[in-house]
Amino acid sequence: MNPSDLGRIISRVEDLPTLPRTVLRITELVNDPKSSARDLSRVITDDQVLAARLLKLVNSSFYGFPQRISTITGAIVLLGFDAIRSLLLTTSVFDLFSNRRKVSLLRQEQFWDHSLGCAVGAKVIGNYLRYDKVEELFVSGLLHDIGKIVEMIFLQKAFKEIIQLVKDRNILMIAAEENILGYSHPLVGKLLAERWNLPPKLTSVIQHHHQPSEAGRFVQEAAIVHLADILCRSLNIGYGGDNKMPPLDRTAWDSLRIKSGQIETIMAEILKEFEDITLFITYSP
Amino acid sequence: MIRLKIDELKPGMILARSVYNQQELLLLENDTPLTKKRIWMLKTWGIDQVCVKGESQDDGGTVFETEPETGETIEMELRAKFADVAGDSVMVEIMKAAGRQLQKSLSDPEKKNEPV
Repeated sequence: MNPSDLGRIISRVEDLPTLPRTVLRITELVNDPKSSARDLSRVITDDQVLAARLLKLVNSSFYGFPQRISTITGAIVLLGFDAIRSLLLTTSVFDLFSNRRKVSLLRQEQFWDHSLGCAVGAKVIGNYLRYDKVEELFVSGLLHDIGKIVEMIFLQKAFKEIIQLVKDRNILMIAAEENILGYSHPLVGKLLAERWNLPPKLTSVIQHHHQPSEAGRFVQEAAIVHLADILCRSLNIGYGGDNKMPPLDRTAWDSLRIKSGQIETIMAEILKEFEDITLFITYSP
Repeated sequence: MIRLKIDELKPGMILARSVYNQQELLLLENDTPLTKKRIWMLKTWGIDQVCVKGESQDDGGTVFETEPETGETIEMELRAKFADVAGDSVMVEIMKAAGRQLQKSLSDPEKKNEPV
């Protein structure tokens, strides 16, 4: 890539919105080994919207707790700090990008569905592989294409050309991006993730979801999101911007050790969980 | 092109014109096939009528252009989508499995886009 292009995009990334203060504060608390569930709950209850969302989420069928959870502290104890941060990050990030004019609502909605589908997909695959932090996979899936949203908002003219090229030639969006911009959404997403100080694992997955075997120590996580992306595209869950399948990274696939006969079981579970989750996280601009 | 009230819309009909809300925010582009969810979305935005593709007939009836999902279209779409990766045996497995899952949801009355 041309260095001036990289410089240009970084300078634009500097203009990007920052995360809401509450989420930043929560991230700090989660990273601080001395903080308690009560500290965290105090920050969350200060933000009524977040508090309401959190309670709605923990009481949804997605988690399947037998009893109703009515307090924030209760939710934190049950789900754990990391899960709470993931959930709040998730809902906040999409707020930042919602209600942008000039972008068709259908496109926003379908993009959101694609991201949510990958999040669910990564979680389902993680469960299948007995990965211990499936919440992190969920967030990684949700944010893997965040670079596309940055392009949509900050590189409007180029983004339109990309969409047109995808339409005209029926190619992958990443190919059209390389053609028009000289770089693509994984790099843009990585820059945003760094700007937001997201954890290295998450940043790496965003950067390498098309070539997970290059993700170093996070190969497994990147491979899971890579596969989730492919499965969601095949199942028409949302729309990631094109109508083609990205090539499967075979090294990464082999490392997951999933038998191809198991794919359909995983797919069925993704479809079921996706339907459940859309009932309570609906895209509302 | 036929102008219809929101309550007369049926899933499968295709928008003949883009739909905007009062603030000129683009809601749905023309050529978009309607689904139950999209009709509901238009309702929640307070849209009261839209233009869909179709023609009035001499006998006073109307024929709407529709885009129903059928088993055949599912197969065709999948094959087109997987055209560039058809040399990969795992991707072929994924395509076949997706085809079966999509057919299944098509025959499941709960998930079908029933007329509103």
